[in-house]
Amino acid sequence: MKILRDIFENLNRLSQQNKLLKRLKPVIAATDEFFFGTAQVTATPHIVDHIDIKRFMSFVIIGLLPATIAAIYFWGLRVLLVIAISYTFGGLIEVVFAAVRKKEIHEGFLVTGLIFPLILPPTVPLWMVAVGVMFGVIFGKEAFGGTGRNVFNAAIVGRIFLSVAFPQAMTVSWSRPFHQGLGGFLKFSADAATQATPLALFKNDMLITNFWDLFFGNSLGCIGETFRLGIILGGLFLILAKISNWRLPLAAILSVLFFSFLGNLFAAQKFAPPLFQILSGGLLLGTFFMLTDPVTCPFTKAGKWLGGIMFGFLVVLIRGLSGYTEGVMFSILLLNVFAPLIDHLVLDVKYPALKK
Amino acid sequence: MPKTHTFAGGYKFVNFEGQPKPVLEEAVIPLRVSVPLRQGFGAEGDCLVEVGEKVSAGQIISHIEKGVASPVHATINGVVEEVRRVNYFQCDCLMVSIKGDGSPGYQKVPGAAGNWEQWSAQELEKVLYLSGVTALDREGIPTRFHSSVIHPEDVENLIVHGIGSEPYNISIDVLLQGKNTLHLIEGIKILHKIMPKARVYFALNNQRKKILEEIKKLTCPFDWLEICSLEPKYPQGYDELLVPTILKQKFPYGYSAANIGAVVLNLQAVLQVYEAAAEGKPLIERTVALCGPAFKEPLHIKVRIGTVLKDVVSARIKEGVAPRFVRNGLLTGAELKDANLPIDKTYSQIIAIPENRQRQFLAFLRPGFKSDSYSRTFLAKFLPGAKKSCETNKHGEERPCISCNYCEEACPVSIIPHLLSKYVQRNIIDETLMRLRIFNCIECGLCSYVCPSKIPLAEYIKEGQEKLTIQGCDRNQCILPYFDNIRGIEEYRGAKEVY
Repeated sequence: MKILRDIFENLNRLSQQNKLLKRLKPVIAATDEFFFGTAQVTATPHIVDHIDIKRFMSFVIIGLLPATIAAIYFWGLRVLLVIAISYTFGGLIEVVFAAVRKKEIHEGFLVTGLIFPLILPPTVPLWMVAVGVMFGVIFGKEAFGGTGRNVFNAAIVGRIFLSVAFPQAMTVSWSRPFHQGLGGFLKFSADAATQATPLALFKNDMLITNFWDLFFGNSLGCIGETFRLGIILGGLFLILAKISNWRLPLAAILSVLFFSFLGNLFAAQKFAPPLFQILSGGLLLGTFFMLTDPVTCPFTKAGKWLGGIMFGFLVVLIRGLSGYTEGVMFSILLLNVFAPLIDHLVLDVKYPALKK
Repeated sequence: MPKTHTFAGGYKFVNFEGQPKPVLEEAVIPLRVSVPLRQGFGAEGDCLVEVGEKVSAGQIISHIEKGVASPVHATINGVVEEVRRVNYFQCDCLMVSIKGDGSPGYQKVPGAAGNWEQWSAQELEKVLYLSGVTALDREGIPTRFHSSVIHPEDVENLIVHGIGSEPYNISIDVLLQGKNTLHLIEGIKILHKIMPKARVYFALNNQRKKILEEIKKLTCPFDWLEICSLEPKYPQGYDELLVPTILKQKFPYGYSAANIGAVVLNLQAVLQVYEAAAEGKPLIERTVALCGPAFKEPLHIKVRIGTVLKDVVSARIKEGVAPRFVRNGLLTGAELKDANLPIDKTYSQIIAIPENRQRQFLAFLRPGFKSDSYSRTFLAKFLPGAKKSCETNKHGEERPCISCNYCEEACPVSIIPHLLSKYVQRNIIDETLMRLRIFNCIECGLCSYVCPSKIPLAEYIKEGQEKLTIQGCDRNQCILPYFDNIRGIEEYRGAKEVY
């Protein structure tokens, strides 16, 4: 510990003198702040809460761990490589922007870097991961001013870019998951599958996949979205720890149940039954981890209810009536677009004009 | 048992280490005091004594010509050493330094002899005014001598409270030890005699069930008194939240409860009212709780007003700890940087917490057995007996706002601090801030407390209010149109002279 402290003191001193190290000051500061807490003291109020943004983001990562570990079990050790590439290339963009702008690196990327691989298909080529994450970070976050100022969820922007630019790789090739013994922990990658995902099976052939398979992850899908038990547990953990707000996931799930029930009643060949809708595709992953991203969702309480209802309606609509099998990523993006408007309307009602 | 009332928002501070023990120590009579002639609210009087003059404890040493105030007394027997102006809590105030002889006696209030029940309301008012207790708490006790901004006939409600919602509180067991519960009831009866039109509410922490039962039994025959049990959620102890919670009335933020006819008094003030009327004791002493982990032994002491801070605390601090002294409340209290300044009548707690500039290794990954937090991410929340640590470290670097909404959930007056501070940071100061009710802020400090990004939200909101005022937007436009029976406004703002 003392050695680490001395290393950072020396680096800080050198960065004052050396020009190259001065440019890299954000990286040195970020690593220093990762290992050691702050020395600053309070003004008024004289005491403050012990939580900070690093811990906040660490808890989100802990919530994602069940899905991630299950992903390695299902699809093999290649998942670790995908995650590593996502962090490396996204982190590179963050460092470049921080060095050029002469500002600090913020912790928002820790979560984006883990969520982005989880919404990609298991057979995604590695170069595509790099391109996707770089696009997402640049156009989803840094172009708007960095953490706290982005309008869109950076991971979703990257995913949609890949869907539109490379549709074949994103929709056609899937893998069959391992589900025996130690599974993917001992293998590198999973075999390609000739079947389609549960959502595509419903859309084309009206086949409903077994709910146990969907729940425990013995189905095809993106890397992180199949182990739905783990996703629900992780999501509930975040809600209990007060990191995620409970209103958005509840509103979204109730809304999906309601609208898909209506749809299934009147047009059963287009709209799947409610429980199948909840348990298929990326709905649970999107609801618990991407919808609740505090920067891009509506911040007012009533706004969260309205946003959740809108999200649910859009998911059912896009899944049922459009050419896409999965509507979650577009619904999240549309919710991000509407969030400021929803907040504005709620504030107009909550704070009426002053009496004269 | 009466129903528990509460308000939306707020945060409960539970079990901080260094709570003051329920033990009362009689402090040694000091050999020197510095009595400020302006303490708390109220105008400063003219000094009646000169250097070299002999004074006795309880002798009035200030004379009020105009303004809202009560007399100030010398607090020890001795000789006046110095009369000079000192910078005291951001205003230049006259301070009378007295060198004492150590004797404990005091001069009784003139006219206070025998049974207070036989006096008229006017005689009672005079005794209370001359004893100085009418200057206690936020707006004092109204008498016809202009000790408060309103008149005793204007008082519709009187709230007596001992909520204790701060992280550190003075102990009610210490205040009500011995016969003091009976004295408290007598004090309430005295106040009822002065303000006969007022309905009295007695509010206590809902966890003190025994005391609530006892008070209920003792006050059964009074139909003008009502008992309320409140949840000890910070900042319930503030006037701005007691009035809406108990009286269910809107509060004129920025003004005081006195402007809507409510007087709010703490338990200690009512006890001192009794001592003034029944025993003739002038306001020369206060019971102060010494709290916080930097004290060797946190307890309660009785101090003479004017005792220099250094004389009280320097021997009681733990070895090797660099303390920060705070007055009364940890989230909003003033930092006591100069230990040569005296304790005055507004003190009820002196809190000492250690300054901590240590850079802790992997601070954000710790399990947190002793860490208090609004979020449920530390183990201390799930261990009921855990004593929470209390020091001045910021526990994180300042980061951009992520709109996590903790500040809005914690805000007791239902405004949105992160939204307001974003407007202020980008310098967009216009009527939108007024519409978003920026002037409702009561400066409780909870928003800055809970923020994970360590943004000083309360400071930004205050800056926004100041910039709006500079631009010409008056807070009256936001507050006054909603009230039709507000009184004493001009006297409160100092726009009208009170003689």
